[in-house]
Amino acid sequence: MEEQQSVVEIKDLYLNFYTYDGIVKALDGVSLSIRKGEILGLVGETGSGKSVTSLSVLSIVIPPGRIEKGQIDINVKGKTYDILSLNDATMARVRGRYISMIFQEPRAALNPVYTIGDQIAEVFFHHRRPELVESSIARLKKDSESTSGLKRAIYRRELSLLEKMQKNPGSLDLRVLSRIPLLNRFQNRMKTAARQYVIEMLKSLNIPDPARVIDMYPHELSGGMAQRAVIAMALCANPLMLIADEPTTSLDVTVQAQILLLIKDLQRRLHTSILYVTHDLGVIAETCDRVAVLYAGNVAEVANVMDLFKKPLHPYTQALLESIPRPGHKFVSIRGIVPSLVNPPKGCRFYDRCDFAMDKCVHQEPELIKIEKDHFVACHLHYGEK
Amino acid sequence: MFTRILKNPLSVAGLVLISYNVFLAVFAPFIAPNTTGIVQYDPYLIPRDPALGMWMEPNAPTPAHLFGTSSMQVDLFYGCVWGTRFAFQLGLEVIVATLGIGLVLGLLAGYYGGFIDEVIMRFTDIILAFPGLILAMVFVAVLGKIGWNVLQAAIFSIILIGWPGYTRLIRGEVLRVRGEDYVEAARASGASDLRIMVRHILPNSIYTVIIVASLDFGSIVLTAAALSFLGLGSPAGYADWGRLIFDGVPYAASGLYYWWTFVYPGIFIVLFTLGWNLLGDALRDVLDPLTRRK
Amino acid sequence: MGLREYIIRRLILIIPIMLGVVLLIFAVMQFVDPVQRVTLYLRNPRQFAPDVIRRYISIYGLDQPVWVQFYNWLSGMLQGQFGYSSYYREMVLPGLLARVPATLEIVLFSTPLIILGGIWLGVESAVRKDRSFDQLTRIFSILGTSLPSFFFGILLSAIFIAQLKWVSTSRLTPSLYTQVSLMQSSHHWNTYTGLMTLDSLLNGRPDICFDALIHLALPVLVLMFIQTAVLVRVTRSSMLESLGKTYITAARAKGLTNSEVVYKHARRNALIPVVTISGLLVGGMMTGLVITESVFMFPGIGQWAAEAAQVFDVSVVIVYAMFSSAVFVLANLIVDVLYAYIDPRIRLG
Repeated sequence: MEEQQSVVEIKDLYLNFYTYDGIVKALDGVSLSIRKGEILGLVGETGSGKSVTSLSVLSIVIPPGRIEKGQIDINVKGKTYDILSLNDATMARVRGRYISMIFQEPRAALNPVYTIGDQIAEVFFHHRRPELVESSIARLKKDSESTSGLKRAIYRRELSLLEKMQKNPGSLDLRVLSRIPLLNRFQNRMKTAARQYVIEMLKSLNIPDPARVIDMYPHELSGGMAQRAVIAMALCANPLMLIADEPTTSLDVTVQAQILLLIKDLQRRLHTSILYVTHDLGVIAETCDRVAVLYAGNVAEVANVMDLFKKPLHPYTQALLESIPRPGHKFVSIRGIVPSLVNPPKGCRFYDRCDFAMDKCVHQEPELIKIEKDHFVACHLHYGEK
Repeated sequence: MFTRILKNPLSVAGLVLISYNVFLAVFAPFIAPNTTGIVQYDPYLIPRDPALGMWMEPNAPTPAHLFGTSSMQVDLFYGCVWGTRFAFQLGLEVIVATLGIGLVLGLLAGYYGGFIDEVIMRFTDIILAFPGLILAMVFVAVLGKIGWNVLQAAIFSIILIGWPGYTRLIRGEVLRVRGEDYVEAARASGASDLRIMVRHILPNSIYTVIIVASLDFGSIVLTAAALSFLGLGSPAGYADWGRLIFDGVPYAASGLYYWWTFVYPGIFIVLFTLGWNLLGDALRDVLDPLTRRK
Repeated sequence: MGLREYIIRRLILIIPIMLGVVLLIFAVMQFVDPVQRVTLYLRNPRQFAPDVIRRYISIYGLDQPVWVQFYNWLSGMLQGQFGYSSYYREMVLPGLLARVPATLEIVLFSTPLIILGGIWLGVESAVRKDRSFDQLTRIFSILGTSLPSFFFGILLSAIFIAQLKWVSTSRLTPSLYTQVSLMQSSHHWNTYTGLMTLDSLLNGRPDICFDALIHLALPVLVLMFIQTAVLVRVTRSSMLESLGKTYITAARAKGLTNSEVVYKHARRNALIPVVTISGLLVGGMMTGLVITESVFMFPGIGQWAAEAAQVFDVSVVIVYAMFSSAVFVLANLIVDVLYAYIDPRIRLG
């Protein structure tokens, strides 16, 4: 993992859920790295822990969950920070700006009582405020040239406030003023500026008629349009990494294809790293550069897409690939069920479903080891091959 | 599911309270027996100790009269304990009646729809257009004026304001269940309407209803107590908490001097309603995964 | 359907409901025999001999067919004729109107407290779920729904009014009361609004205003207690549900601060179902007024109805019922329209 620079690196993450039924050990030492400019697929069944992992990267842990141990490093402009050690205020500056996320159900990810435009503009206000202030000032200067008298005086006041915001954004009097209903009109300039940016953003995502869509509410949009809006929100601030949590699962197949193309295109243009979480191997094959297979809270295998499909090493991966329905072949499924994570087995968690299980597998948890370049596996079967 | 209830301390408290109330109600004749030697035709009429006479002034608690006496030497211990029994009796009467009416009308309205549904719904709309207690007050006043026994009028009124709620609830459940496939199948196989209603729709809609009914139990007793407090319920000297407080109101004007005349019945009401509310909360918590947490 | 059509439709629906309400009352009254019903029309039936009463029965058409009687009664009401109260020895409508200001005063002070307090407690309680703030609030709301208001009221009354003697019952201390009535009869007092707090200020007597305020404290407290408890429970559970939604996680993932996520996004959505049940709170208040005013002997319409009910004075109780029902129905209408307005999913179809 040292060859290429990684944007985000998850190191030995342990996460538990404290429920009425007991302590669910959801993540059992997960280690992953997402490299600069790559699309890393994270594949696993429901319950494997993939969604929780992606939320953890954003340091969003929903109770009753709790991160027990581990480190998540993010590489920003040459410096490394541990996400799990950052406080809430700092994380708020990280989320949406350096790492952002898109969700499975696009219309559920949007607040039903605010317009699309409002919600995308929020990101601009949060992470690209200086640009808004700058363009407001420019606009204001131009406007005040063509007026006079009272209006000009008002513009002058607004201008001084905005310039103050440029130099000293967090100053107390500005914050107080922005809360008072009538006096916070100076923010309207920024809102207009934001509107423009939002329309541009929507255009770049191939949303037709953006000026109309901007004032629509989430329930008025189709699934595909809504997902584009969510993607717009996520890419506004040009993040280093995008987490895509099954973004196409709830969409029609045709729309799915469109969105996938869109994501790949954007990724190419913006050089964003993507952590693509899914259970669909077909999507992985089409979209990702590398893949990590997650089973019951453990990373089973990590490899380049080609290598994983051509030479799957972990029995689980092999079984997954076998179980993809193919015309002419009998339908095969993996025997057994995912183990209860309240009392997980001591050794390998795939033990009771594995056709290659050995005695060692019962007692000892396999570690993730490197078999060849860019191909890691956590399985006792392959220990000798190093 | 029961084990989950037991894990939550609040629901355990609720169960304890309800058991205690049930215990009091069932064993009232033994816990607070009639020791005066005077035979009552209505056990809820609080017997008066002849030794104390009929003085207006309440007596403080003594070993013979654990909670003291209220006006006319009505024994409060007897009143509070038998009041529990009375509460259960009244609550059950009302619930059975309102549920019964609600089931019949709700089933008819939901199953047949159309005109029957409209008519029934309009009736419920009209009754539900009145805030709870107030319509009951009207009925008690009118029936009282024409000579009805006030307590019976009160029970009648509470039933009258209660049935629309259940009718609507059951109708809603019936509508929900009616669209299910097994109902279609039953109809296709020629089952009669009544049979479908009883064998298929009823069992599947009853679950929510039972939960609501058990929550309602507490509020029915509260409503009855409120009516009695306004003088529109039980007669004087009756083992009804609301009535006892009503009888104690004049003595509240002397501050806390005669505290037992209104504090004891009040505590009994609180313990009763609290138990049912806690249980209701617990049921809701158990069924709602969002609020589950250790 | 658009918002305007929705409002119009709801307004139109009120007519059959109110008609039904009136019909129900009328039907109930039919149980009472004509002799007693005559009291609804006469000033002082006690003065009349039985044959005179019989004459009046025929005059007022109480021996007429039901529909004629209904028409007479309904048209009488529309002309402001609501009958006569044998207990209070006055016409019903003036009796009601005279007591409305006192009740209004209680309502005006309680309502904002209930709404603001209840929502604030509910939201904060959900945000701090299972911490001490939440535990305390939950205890409060459970108590509020288990403690009967009349018991709470009697307790407070016994402690603060009778025992500690900090306040008296009713609206003012008796000495000030007599002062006010003296001033009223000698035309030194202008009754502008009927609200003692406001009028006393307008008449230049801030001490009376202060007295009125402290007399309002207990009734307002008792009235508020239950309503706030209910509001807190509903707000809390609605807020919890809102906080669990995906768009909240998405908002956090956008980098919004915690307070923005909670107050700008979650709360807005949480308040939508809360608006719906506020209509019911109005109904609860009408009921609560009856009990609260009785306990504190506050001369409002609640006490008016309570005392009348005790002596089975039907005319008063009926009018109170119709009045509360009208208020209740109106409140629910406003609430429904508000709900349709603030939820864009309904507003835009």
